[in-house]
Amino acid sequence: MKLTKAEIQFIDNYLIKNEVKYWDVRLELLDHIVSAVEDKITNEGVSFNEALLDVHSGFGNQFIEFGVSKDKIFEKGLYQSNTGFKKFIKQKQKEIGRKHRKAYWKTFLPFISSIRFFIELLVLTIVTLIAYQYSIKAGLFVAMSGIIITEFTKLFYGGLKKFKTKSLNMQLAVSSSLLLTQMPYWLIMLFNWHYEGLEMKPYYILFILFALLFVFSRHSLNNFIKIYNIYNERYQLLTT
Amino acid sequence: MSNSKLYKGSLTTIILKLLNENDKMYGYEITQRVKELTKGELKITEGALYPALHKLEAEGLLDVEVAKVDNRLRKYYKLTETGTKETVNKLEELAEYIKTMQALVNPKLA
Repeated sequence: MKLTKAEIQFIDNYLIKNEVKYWDVRLELLDHIVSAVEDKITNEGVSFNEALLDVHSGFGNQFIEFGVSKDKIFEKGLYQSNTGFKKFIKQKQKEIGRKHRKAYWKTFLPFISSIRFFIELLVLTIVTLIAYQYSIKAGLFVAMSGIIITEFTKLFYGGLKKFKTKSLNMQLAVSSSLLLTQMPYWLIMLFNWHYEGLEMKPYYILFILFALLFVFSRHSLNNFIKIYNIYNERYQLLTT
Repeated sequence: MSNSKLYKGSLTTIILKLLNENDKMYGYEITQRVKELTKGELKITEGALYPALHKLEAEGLLDVEVAKVDNRLRKYYKLTETGTKETVNKLEELAEYIKTMQALVNPKLA
């Protein structure tokens, strides 16, 4: 027996109440639970409530029936514990992180040896050198802007709409951005502290460090765009 | 995964083997196929299946395809090229293990 749209919505809401807030995590759980409930109703002849409670415990969510009145068993059973779902999310988060890191390093060398990246780095270097003619500060500002622009692009697109912030994949894809946007600032602070009192500070060190940061940051934007496109497409599919 | 701890170490091989025989499968379908093939002897729990699938996906052995089915999205898993190669290795490994165990448990049959 196929579940109605209202019953599927009920299961989706039940997952949200159990703190499965990311839609890209929920979609897999929802499909599994709906398939299992439909199967149990059809082949085992149980009710919707009984089937759902059974599947709920199958995910490792505990339920203690002691002291719960019969008419409250369904409600209590569904919301008393979400330990199984929490474990599911935590494990998925770990594997998404691994997947992103693997994809990042797999494409790192091909990207930094591409002509496109070479041109981008060359343009940034030329503009930095022009700014440097005016003042060291201007040069540093331009060098920093390469990193800041890429990271803010990720943060802007990653946090712009509801679907992106409620997606575990998107959230993990921008998780390093806040750190990377602050890195240039911390590097300047560390540099000034280390070379305090020195008349001719070796600013080239900062330029090299900014260039290195830009390489990693720029490549992470590439991976971010790929993840963004995949999840944007899936979300469109979900909402149409 | 129910029944025995002995099955746990073979879960990824079971998943890879099933996906090798079918073009693509979704989570619940895998649990039901295993139940059907083993006549109910082996039941893969949700708590064991999904971590294994996500791990295989992260390792690049599985690819994911999402499609809309009956008012919801369904996530299909399929083998990547690396996954297909790994399936052969894993199956050989498992066959070797069974052979070794057979020699230990029942030397006459080995």
